Amino acid sequence: MTTSPAPLTDLSVTPPAFRRDPAARLRPVNWNRVTDEKDLEVWNRLTANFWLPEKVPLSNDLTAWRQRLTDGERTLTMRVFTGLTMLDTVQATVGEIVQIQDARTEHEEAVYTNIAFMQAVHARSYSSVFSTLSTTPEIDDAYRWAVDNDVLQQRCKTVLRHYYGDDPLKRKVASTLLSSLLLYAGFYLPLHFSTHALLTNTADMIRLILRDKAVHGYYSGYKYQRGLEQRTAAGREEMRDFTHGLLEELYELELRYSGELYEPLGLMDDVAVFVRYNANKALMNLGYPARFGPEETEVNPEILAALSPGADENHDFFSGSGSSYVMGKAEDTADDDWDF
Amino acid sequence: MDTTLARRDYHALNAMLNMYDCHGGIQFGKDREAVRQFFLQQVNPNTLVFPSLEEKLDHLITNDYYEEAPFRRHDAEFVKGLYRRAYAHGHRFRTFLGAFKFYTSYALKTFDGSRYLERYEDRVVATALYLGAGDEALASRLVDEMMTGRFQPATPTFLNAGKAQRGELVSCFLLRVEDNLESIGRGVNSALQLSKRGGGVALLLTNLREQGAPIKKIENQSSGVVPVMKLLEDSFSYANQLGARQGAGAVYLHAHHPDIMRFLDTKRENADEKIRIKTLSLGVVVPDVTFELAKRDEDMHLFSPYDVEREYGRPLSDLSVSALYDELVANPRVRKSTLRAREFFKTVAELQFESGYPYLLFEDTVNRANPIPGWINMSNLCSEILQVNTPSTYDASLGYETVGRDISCNLGSLNIAAAMASPDFGATVETAVRGLTSVSDQSHIDAVPSVARGNALSHAIGLGQMNLHGYLASRRVHYGSEEGVDFTDMYFYAVTYHALRASNRIAIERGTAFDGFEDSAYADGSYFEKYTERVWEPATARVRALFAEAGVRLPTRDDWRALRDSVREHGIYNQYLQAVPPTGSISYINDATASLHPVAARVEIRKEGKLGRVYYPAPHMDDDNQEFFRDAYEIGPEKIIDTYAAATRHVDQGLSCTLFFRDTATTRDLNKAQIHAWRKGLKTLYYIRLRQEALAGTGIENCLSCAL
Repeated sequence: MTTSPAPLTDLSVTPPAFRRDPAARLRPVNWNRVTDEKDLEVWNRLTANFWLPEKVPLSNDLTAWRQRLTDGERTLTMRVFTGLTMLDTVQATVGEIVQIQDARTEHEEAVYTNIAFMQAVHARSYSSVFSTLSTTPEIDDAYRWAVDNDVLQQRCKTVLRHYYGDDPLKRKVASTLLSSLLLYAGFYLPLHFSTHALLTNTADMIRLILRDKAVHGYYSGYKYQRGLEQRTAAGREEMRDFTHGLLEELYELELRYSGELYEPLGLMDDVAVFVRYNANKALMNLGYPARFGPEETEVNPEILAALSPGADENHDFFSGSGSSYVMGKAEDTADDDWDF
Repeated sequence: MDTTLARRDYHALNAMLNMYDCHGGIQFGKDREAVRQFFLQQVNPNTLVFPSLEEKLDHLITNDYYEEAPFRRHDAEFVKGLYRRAYAHGHRFRTFLGAFKFYTSYALKTFDGSRYLERYEDRVVATALYLGAGDEALASRLVDEMMTGRFQPATPTFLNAGKAQRGELVSCFLLRVEDNLESIGRGVNSALQLSKRGGGVALLLTNLREQGAPIKKIENQSSGVVPVMKLLEDSFSYANQLGARQGAGAVYLHAHHPDIMRFLDTKRENADEKIRIKTLSLGVVVPDVTFELAKRDEDMHLFSPYDVEREYGRPLSDLSVSALYDELVANPRVRKSTLRAREFFKTVAELQFESGYPYLLFEDTVNRANPIPGWINMSNLCSEILQVNTPSTYDASLGYETVGRDISCNLGSLNIAAAMASPDFGATVETAVRGLTSVSDQSHIDAVPSVARGNALSHAIGLGQMNLHGYLASRRVHYGSEEGVDFTDMYFYAVTYHALRASNRIAIERGTAFDGFEDSAYADGSYFEKYTERVWEPATARVRALFAEAGVRLPTRDDWRALRDSVREHGIYNQYLQAVPPTGSISYINDATASLHPVAARVEIRKEGKLGRVYYPAPHMDDDNQEFFRDAYEIGPEKIIDTYAAATRHVDQGLSCTLFFRDTATTRDLNKAQIHAWRKGLKTLYYIRLRQEALAGTGIENCLSCAL
């Protein structure tokens, strides 16, 4: 009788483990042995959804930008988008990368590299909006505003502290809250604009970003829950308290940050509801019950209805490129297909 | 209108269509409330009211809002009566999108854009008076046809008719481009001129010499079709800034043009900015031979248009590549390259995944069905216009040496449900044909003489149809079922008869037929054989009952024989009569489902530059008949193709046929659908639309669009 050899995964490690164990044998990622189907499902979805900002004819928004938006609305847009760029920069350069070392499977490592890249594409895409619609001095002003804005800085640093901390699960919580809570307050503006036929091509781009973010937030939440299952009851308790603590902290910061931005245009009441809705959504992704009651989270239907991450907008091809196209799966035709 | 971020509750109410109520039902009532609020908050307070009709018309004419002639050539009592007639219909917008679209895009506004000067009835009367062109009976009939929603002119006509500051009433222009710089320069100029006037423009690039072809006999000089596409794309977006409507253009290239892969690659997700085409639409002309080569899994040869023109004395676009294929392959003086035919089809499908383009035009199918002498080599921005053309030649200063014939087409559609309810179906079709003919008669596109000449000689029109799915569902017939296809077949059969008869009557009244009638299949009677040689009647009892209940009589063989004889004697006035456009905007204001397509969703999320994101409930849908509103993605391409095939055999031009796939489809599924469409005799395929379901766990609760 022969014993089957021990599986490779027991005998070797993936490259990120080198830091902990330089002597271990290294193993290349093997997509033929997927242990968590969710990794493959998410990878496939992410790669099918690949896009670049150059595909969106942003210049079609120039008329609306120049002639229909007020000065206040233009400044708000510049700042909201600079704020979004900041968050996506954090995610692309740190947030996703630091999670590679914590991955539970080798495929999860690969997924983070994809997510990190797409976050960089998102950060880049706001710049496309800027350079299409705005001027260099205005863009520079917006970046200076971001660097000078204490609440914006604090919002990022609160998250970064945990990215560079020592608990993998706290990283996941921080990342999920950033993706599901902080970013969405920024999306309020373009979604609101697009319902009113303003900056609709920019909104197409935002919908492409939303399509990605929905998957990113969901995935880190999912992996968090798998990690949590390995913890003791006390450990789980601790993580729950930590999550709620961090959520409160970020929620307060978000209200201050968004308030500063949206208050002057009278939109903050609406945005605050949306922030609470997203706080609940973040908790849901992490597997926790809602923090806010239904009456506090009744989002304006025009925003809620626009949030669906599915690619179901029936766009008019002549005024935009839409947000529903994906990379096709090529498959050769067979002789039978040509049987005529 | 104010453009600030002030809360507008009607948008919120409309958005609630996309969310279920607590019992899982669609909130139709919220949309009706949105219509009401839109009128209360936006329309009524911002409408300029006049003490009397006389004062209103005086004001609008004196201040250059209305053209004088349509309103002043009749006596005032008639005009007043026409307004009364229109208002007596008691029109109400059934959906928020319908009302919002009308007031955003169609209604006349003060020049500063702050006040509405027209209601729906006023637009209808202005259109009827303009199209009536002095004929009071026709103007009255048009008011009835439009107010009942039976006939709806296309956007350029309905938007512009009667206005003093306006674009052209014609929807579509198709221009040839020949293989010389003068023609290319003229093409760019015409694209600008026509976009400014509000039409969609398609250009034929098949004849342009390929990349690397010689210029003045020096080899490797030409840069091929892609730089010309870039020029056109930029021209369209420039004209777009001036015009009220988005400038939009399409280019067509033959599948066997050597630049075909470069042409397709301009739509790649990762194409370089210098060659990337974002807003120009692409169409590929595919002959039968390409399918046959793919069937045998062989290479397809691509032929240098430069060499072909020198060798055969005619441009590539005017030859049948299928018929000449073997000869071209064997001819050593025609430079050629090769590509695996199946690889070509696969690339087409890949690009369709990424961008929805290209459209396909099945060249041999189109030409076999064409009753007019000549060769059809291109279509238009919506792939439903299919007419013959002839080239122009230019002198060095871009003047015309010979004015060829280019194509224009004005469109209008019948609402199938409303038309079936017409007290006189034949008269409805006839009024529509006369309305469209009037647009052709009143259009003179001086900026592009080849278009003006083509129109003057052909009087071509495009009568379309919409609301097929809405009608079928309201009769509890499933889209694409045996009955659904049978109805489509018989409906188009009846429309075709009445349209030809109307055109024949116009020819008799005016004593003239379209230019070249004598050489057409109408003149020798061969066109009519398919209707006189066999009996056409419904195949199913249900469809027989539908026509009987509606009191719509189906023409008999004797009717056709009589019509044939009259046509042979007097001719028909319009060179082309039918073309079925996709009907985006007009189907929303007409409360119809688009064209012959199934609904895109039970509650469609419509996104447009001028409207933003708006929700549209399927017309005729209520809580009891939702099972008949399976959407286009559920219904799938086969049933759509079968439905279109039934209509296609009666239509002299084409039909815009979009195919809908879920993102689980592969390029092979797209190819299989294209093969099926070609085999079933479809003439063109329009967009590919894709829908990706939200990943489980990422959807929004209670959101209709996530619960598909």
